[in-house]
Amino acid sequence: MASKVGRVKSLSRRSFLKFVGGASLVGVTLNLTGCGKPITPDKAIGGNGWMPTQYNAPGNWPTSVRGRVPIDPENPAIVRDDQKCILCGQCIEVCEKIQSVFGNYELPIKKEFVCVNCGQCIQWCPSGAISERDDVNKVFKALADPNVTVVVQTAPATRIGLGEEFGMPVGTNVQGKQVAALRKLGFDVVFDTNFTADLTIMEEGTELVKRVTGELHHPIPQMTSCCPGWVKFVEYFYPELIPNLSSAKSPQQMEGALIKTYFAEKKEVDPKKIFSVAIMPCTAKKFECQRPEMNSASKELNDSKVSPDVDVVLTTRELARMIKRSGIDFASLPEEEYDKLMGTGTGAGVIFGTTGGVMEAAVRSAYYLITGQQPPAALWNLTPVRGMQGVKEAAVNIPGVGDVKVAVISGLANARKVMDQMKAGHAPWAFMEIMACPGGCEYGGGQPRASSPPSDEDRNRRAASLYNIDAKAKLRNSHDNPEIKQIYADFLTAPMSEKAEELLHTHYVSRADDFIPKKSEENKLY
Amino acid sequence: MAKGVLVDIPKCIGCESCSVACKLWNELEWDEQEKNKTAIDRAKEPNNGLWPEEWTSINRYDLEKDGESVARYVKAQCMHCEDPACVSSCFSKAFQKLPEGPVIYDQSLCVGCRYCMMACPFDVLRYEWKKAIPGVRKCQMCATRVANNQETACTSVCPTGAIIFGDRDQLLAEAKKRIKENGYVDRVFGEKEAGGTSWLYISDTPFEQMRFRTDVTTKPLPSYTEGYMKATPFVGVGWAAILAGLYVFNNKGKEPLD
Repeated sequence: MASKVGRVKSLSRRSFLKFVGGASLVGVTLNLTGCGKPITPDKAIGGNGWMPTQYNAPGNWPTSVRGRVPIDPENPAIVRDDQKCILCGQCIEVCEKIQSVFGNYELPIKKEFVCVNCGQCIQWCPSGAISERDDVNKVFKALADPNVTVVVQTAPATRIGLGEEFGMPVGTNVQGKQVAALRKLGFDVVFDTNFTADLTIMEEGTELVKRVTGELHHPIPQMTSCCPGWVKFVEYFYPELIPNLSSAKSPQQMEGALIKTYFAEKKEVDPKKIFSVAIMPCTAKKFECQRPEMNSASKELNDSKVSPDVDVVLTTRELARMIKRSGIDFASLPEEEYDKLMGTGTGAGVIFGTTGGVMEAAVRSAYYLITGQQPPAALWNLTPVRGMQGVKEAAVNIPGVGDVKVAVISGLANARKVMDQMKAGHAPWAFMEIMACPGGCEYGGGQPRASSPPSDEDRNRRAASLYNIDAKAKLRNSHDNPEIKQIYADFLTAPMSEKAEELLHTHYVSRADDFIPKKSEENKLY
Repeated sequence: MAKGVLVDIPKCIGCESCSVACKLWNELEWDEQEKNKTAIDRAKEPNNGLWPEEWTSINRYDLEKDGESVARYVKAQCMHCEDPACVSSCFSKAFQKLPEGPVIYDQSLCVGCRYCMMACPFDVLRYEWKKAIPGVRKCQMCATRVANNQETACTSVCPTGAIIFGDRDQLLAEAKKRIKENGYVDRVFGEKEAGGTSWLYISDTPFEQMRFRTDVTTKPLPSYTEGYMKATPFVGVGWAAILAGLYVFNNKGKEPLD
């Protein structure tokens, strides 16, 4: 046979087939008996990609940062793009260490992911994987509809943030340009949330005075309720402290309720055809406007066709996106004024945008409400409540009452510590201001992202800009706002009147049943 | 030592870090349609959200437990059987079970017959129908990482320890301990299923409600055919010998054909 193989030319069809058949039979046999090269791991598909270094540790060794926070696909405020996520774990760092939400519940989860919608994870995410839920198209649609009156309000902190999106230095005040841009985008009426910040002070201040004098049987200290992240935090983790929360709505929701009642009545606009937009430095506000109880206008007017008080909340970043998409040259815009009726705010209103601001504004007006006299100049510069410390305390001497102790907290991990103290019986304060985000709204989850990670340097610059607006303001006390005087005279009668209660106050729900609270530190599972 | 992974279902918070880690490490492509699906959407699909470019996925099941409605997140991927049916069904040896645990696949040996897909009792294999030269895709249990004494990509990023990597024997003991401590369902899914798998699941809610194939045999699947299939080499060699003998016998004393 060997001679045959040598003479290839004379190979017949028959012997070729015989050769191939024999070879295949041998091959199959060898294969089945297990001969052949075993495959090695490097031959396997996949496995050539990239992982952050902290995950390339051998074995099951604990690494400092792991994974990411869970985000519900239905979350009204925050969305995530998996494709951009690099699993760096910064969201866990901020959610657990700074906001004390992640890791503060036992597993298994019951139904929903515990989330206060504060959006600090957005600010910390280095790859832009987490962002606000984009509602820009809803607003563009409303603007395009000629039958709809689109009313917009802008929060105190957006005016010192928006400029950064257009390359201006951190903390640039672009109040006038912002109004001009909103008008150019087609918003029919531009109001200032500073107005309802002042109104909040009147309502919340009156409530505080009533609590202190015993007229209202609610516990002291009274805690602010302007921050929706903080409110949800209390509802989750400290439902027993809900009575301490002021029943006053946040400025956004007050403005929303008044736009569809007071504004509609005064300007004779059909409330059903008003689309109310709020520009906020905050993602939690998107959740707040969707709360079922934030529907006062519809209830007050007894008309179920009136949409919620605030239809859409846009973050500062989304407004910047709208301006860019419409091709508006922001830097060259003129300075314009807010519309009258609900567009005048005082210096006290504008400092709502930073930690300590609500307290400072409240103290100025509480002095007036208690003594009937204008506050001394010292209260226009209440330094102990300014600055970026997590917990600040101050005592204010008000004639007739004596020293009133107040506390200012920003960052929910700080709030948690103080709340635990309060539960243990240590609560010497009469009034407490708590903001979910460190530094307050000026570094909220909806503010422009800085090119560097969140820092106190940026927070201080934005806060300084707000205090500068306050210092230069003609009116620095909420109770001096002429439009506030007008609304009480024409519409609401007095702070905490029946109508004010209906439109400007709310109630809270315990969310303690939505999750299993953490048992104790030693019991920590992860 | 054979490695394994323990999935403690009630400890999963549904962050889906694991599926992102899998994508990163295995350089799997992102599909716009798949990316926008939620864990609830995937749980309604027949294939557990596994696709050629999705080797692992999280599925959310809304269940009733003690009269309360609860949500459970379940990770799906290849179970890495101790005695895998895909390996035994593959005649071209493209699949192999490594002693460390992973069942790996080498596409250069694959002929594309898809017998493995028919053989898999857990339906985890996916064929690249859209590609010109398709292959079969499934979790490789990060074979190169495991060979390097590293844990799998997915377990390394889990923030709650819902999936932990370790020696299979130790994990099995840990699983039984947790079942007793936490009052889970008294079953380690993967201990005996299909003859045992490298991935082990424990849960406080019934497995059948979370689309686990609880009726799967406890016998290793290849053992069904092993009895007669192991005669194949002998039949093959014997048949070759008989034919060769007949050839020689028939051609005895004949002149070779031209």
